[in-house]
Amino acid sequence: MALQEACGPFEGTMSIVYRCQACDYRMAMLTNQMETQMVRSLGVKIGGRAREAAPMETLRTNLQGKRQEVAVPDRAKSASKCPFTGVVTEALEASQLQWTAGAQARMARVPAFVRPMVQRNVEDYAAQSGKMVVDESVMDAMKGQLGI
Amino acid sequence: MKTYHDIATDGGSDVAGQVADQMARLSSRLARVGHVVAIMSGKGGVGKSTLTAALAEAFALMSHSVGIVDADINGPSVALMTGVRHHVPHPVPGGMSPATSASGVKVMSMDLFLQHDSSAVLWEAPSQRHAYTWRPMVEMGVLRELIADTAWGALDVLFIDLPPGSDRLPNLADLVEDRAAAVVVTGPTAVSHGVVARSITAAADVAGLPVVGLVENMSSYVCTACGHEEYYDRSGSGAAELAAAHDIPFLGRIPFDSRLALAADRGEPFLAHAGDAPVGRAIMALAARMKDYLQL
Ligand SMILES: Nc1ncnc2c1ncn2[C@@H]1O[C@H](COP(=O)(O)OP(=O)(O)OP(=O)(O)O)[C@@H](O)[C@H]1O
Ligand SMILES: [Mg+2]
Repeated sequence: MALQEACGPFEGTMSIVYRCQACDYRMAMLTNQMETQMVRSLGVKIGGRAREAAPMETLRTNLQGKRQEVAVPDRAKSASKCPFTGVVTEALEASQLQWTAGAQARMARVPAFVRPMVQRNVEDYAAQSGKMVVDESVMDAMKGQLGI
Repeated sequence: MKTYHDIATDGGSDVAGQVADQMARLSSRLARVGHVVAIMSGKGGVGKSTLTAALAEAFALMSHSVGIVDADINGPSVALMTGVRHHVPHPVPGGMSPATSASGVKVMSMDLFLQHDSSAVLWEAPSQRHAYTWRPMVEMGVLRELIADTAWGALDVLFIDLPPGSDRLPNLADLVEDRAAAVVVTGPTAVSHGVVARSITAAADVAGLPVVGLVENMSSYVCTACGHEEYYDRSGSGAAELAAAHDIPFLGRIPFDSRLALAADRGEPFLAHAGDAPVGRAIMALAARMKDYLQL
């Protein structure tokens, strides 16, 4: 079995597809919003930690409506060499943004093998433009990217 | 077919190792804390937070080093009552800096992280719908962080101000294992006694916490002008009977005194100025009994 694609998270849901190189059998693993969020809630890093957790990392990272003076720890990068957990963690860490249904539909048309990269670029662009939601206007602005 | 237990690794995440690290941090923090005392009650509004703040002040007046963790994550009030809401915790060597009250009590609370007085405590999530599935897990993790990641230094006593009810007790018992004891607070009414009875059982039987004893708060009203003391139920032996029925010590009664409430609202120390009032003497007597129990 080899990892074929990882999609999402779109509003907290993810799908990860494996493929057998010999017979082309495919197996998908889906997580729903609650499962994805439950893993995040444990305060552990899927994929392992590259360095020790910062003090009150869960609280400072995940609390909404914080005082401005509260220093937020850098997102600790994962240490995993496992492609599966690496991909999942990277996707989770990248995505703090909401996606509209229209933007998701357009992303679904992007070929699977480049989708994670395109998604990251779109989200980086949205974050740089100060947007909290990826909508079709963001997709329009990124039209130059393959297949959007 | 392989079962879960046949799988040797978890794909490199080492979740078990990460959880072990979290617990190791907690143990090394607690190694410098003499005693952990949880102030609890099944009933809301009976004065848990007020008594936590006053008891911490009493221990500080007796030259002990004390801290308070506000374990009421969604309804924190200790920072206000100890007058430290201006403090913003920041990273210092060994953890995050606690606030220090005018009487020298160290305080850590969710309240210190929140922007507005009316801010609800919300956690990042793609959606707040169905948050019941994961919110208790975040809260448990945050309580662990508030205890383990605060740079308390050496403490004689760490008080834990619990929210009403007994939901948080098993969490707390898991975190502090055999290091904590509980003081149970009740009001003077039969309604209060009934609800509190269940939480004593939850503390002792379910969470396995040793119970220091039961305190009845707001048992009487003391006139600040003439000193006359009016009881809710003068003959009242309800709280003493409740304690006896559960085989725990009855630690005493604390009168209602508006000056105590006012000091709490203003975040000012109370005992240092009004320690001679009946309520002040009652709190000092309670602290003395706790000191005996803790052998401090
Ligand atoms: N002995 C007392 N004399 C006067 N006022 C009191 C006394 N005890 C508590 N109060 C007041 O009663 C109110 C409720 O007290 P407090 O917030 O301490 O209760 P609590 O049990 O912590 O509540 P919660 O269940 O919401 O956590 C506060 O305004 C407090 O100032
Ligand atoms: Mg309270």
